[in-house]
Amino acid sequence: MRDSRVEIRIGGTGGQGLILCAKMLADALAAAGKHVAQSQTYEPTSRGGYCNSDLVISDGEVDFPLATALDWLVLLDRLAIRPSWPLLKPGALVIADTRLCPDLPEGDRRAHHLPLSRTAIELGSERVANIVALGALAALAEICERRALEQAVRADTPRSFLDLNLDALAAGYRLGEQAITAPSSTSAG
Amino acid sequence: MNAVDTALAPKPAVRLISGNHACALGALAAGCRFFAGYPITPSSEIAERLSRLLPEVDGVFVQMEDEIASIAAVIGASMGGVKALTATSGPGFSLKQENIGYAAGAEIPCVIVNVMRGGPSTGMPTRPAQGDIMQARWGSHGDYPIVVLAPASVREIYDETMRAFDLAETCRTPVVLLYDQVIAQLAETVELGDTSDLARTERKWASGPRAAYQPYAADEDGIPAMSRPGAGYRVHTTGLNHAENGFPTQNPEAVARNLGRLLTKLDRHRDAIDSWQTINCDDAEVLIVAIGISARAATRALDIARARGVRAGLFRPITLWPFPETALREVAARARAVLVPEMNAGQLSLEVERILGGKRVEGMHRFNGEPITPAEIAARAESLAKAALAKETR
Repeated sequence: MRDSRVEIRIGGTGGQGLILCAKMLADALAAAGKHVAQSQTYEPTSRGGYCNSDLVISDGEVDFPLATALDWLVLLDRLAIRPSWPLLKPGALVIADTRLCPDLPEGDRRAHHLPLSRTAIELGSERVANIVALGALAALAEICERRALEQAVRADTPRSFLDLNLDALAAGYRLGEQAITAPSSTSAG
Repeated sequence: MNAVDTALAPKPAVRLISGNHACALGALAAGCRFFAGYPITPSSEIAERLSRLLPEVDGVFVQMEDEIASIAAVIGASMGGVKALTATSGPGFSLKQENIGYAAGAEIPCVIVNVMRGGPSTGMPTRPAQGDIMQARWGSHGDYPIVVLAPASVREIYDETMRAFDLAETCRTPVVLLYDQVIAQLAETVELGDTSDLARTERKWASGPRAAYQPYAADEDGIPAMSRPGAGYRVHTTGLNHAENGFPTQNPEAVARNLGRLLTKLDRHRDAIDSWQTINCDDAEVLIVAIGISARAATRALDIARARGVRAGLFRPITLWPFPETALREVAARARAVLVPEMNAGQLSLEVERILGGKRVEGMHRFNGEPITPAEIAARAESLAKAALAKETR
């Protein structure tokens, strides 16, 4: 099938804000006229356990709204590797957190290990690792206008977290832009 | 994928909302002004949304002490003349069954949302299933009519929620909206038109001389007119079998007459009730029958199968009960084989087998919380097509 379908997964553990940051990206894409389906998988615990949020993006209506072949995978915890690895498209691009997801299996994929959670901690709270990841993904995947994404982040952030989230997004963009010029790894580690 | 062209102006009416959010908006657009419920994953977002939205339109939101009280409050609100909704998931749906039977028997219009998660019992709260297909039809005791709608997308949840209220009012019946966790918590881009000026259906209200009014004497359409509270008509409502005057009876003729009317009343409204979608059915050698997320997978499977030379088609009941059986029979007549993918141990396939008596119906059943994929359905359709062809050429 030749369609414009693009699939993205943000995977990690419950409580990392994965569903929220996927919603921000989905909102930015929807505002730009894309058809988006955003699904979520989570455990019946408020924190911990495997969690992911998937985006299926298309120029036309999305038929099957769940991930079948991932173009992009963001890993914020090693727990997300096992359920996600079999879904990677050949040549897919993986963004993995250096600290929480240090080792990756072999496979036909490109990987960028980025200090997403460490950057968040340096900014003041590990809780914004999701937004750092969002910025890095947006910079690398070039899937939406930066301004639209900033707008979506603003719309979904409580005032007390706004400055921190915007800093996190900018830091994520910097990590992503630096990674574009650096070679990605094509094997494990 | 390239960067989005910003020259494409965003359509202002396009929104990214979840299925449960769409349900709340559809209910409001249909004129629902009362919600009573008890939170349960994965349906809670409906209650959450309505707790904010209903007060803005002078509606009432009540979080009750449990699911039984919730459906009881909804029935009471509807008897009070208000369009009313409750929403739940498997365990809560089980609790509501007795009062759903009451609403069916006493002919109280109401809408019940059941978001299907893994079962039995508390099962898998955050994982999808389609295991309540039979319960939605047969969950309460005794013989009774009910309408069950099974939307498969966020947009369709919005539309079918509105239709659920219309049918509940027109037919004086409980209507169940049945969809799985994936569709409930899936967010999709939808364009919702302005529904503020849409004239929605209201139940038939009693008119004419008060002395002659009988609360369960039906008109030609099989539906009795309801008395608006305070209108001065004398009303008696009970779960006991009743005669036209509303009072309990065990007189065989009166029960046969009144229950008989109840059990056949939906037959006269099938044009409004029945709804289904067909895709690529005209030349289909393998017909897939599916609802909800399984139907979404099947839609993509059609393209995969056709790319491999297998002519597959999809019949998707949007109204699940009463099942649109005439439409299915017509479509299936041309197919060599029928495939029913569903997230349970075999429920929809039973009904399809019954309707297509004699035709080979293959079930594809999964109950581990993982949705069936398009590739899996396409592969099964391909092997079915080959087997059917081999049998014919032997």
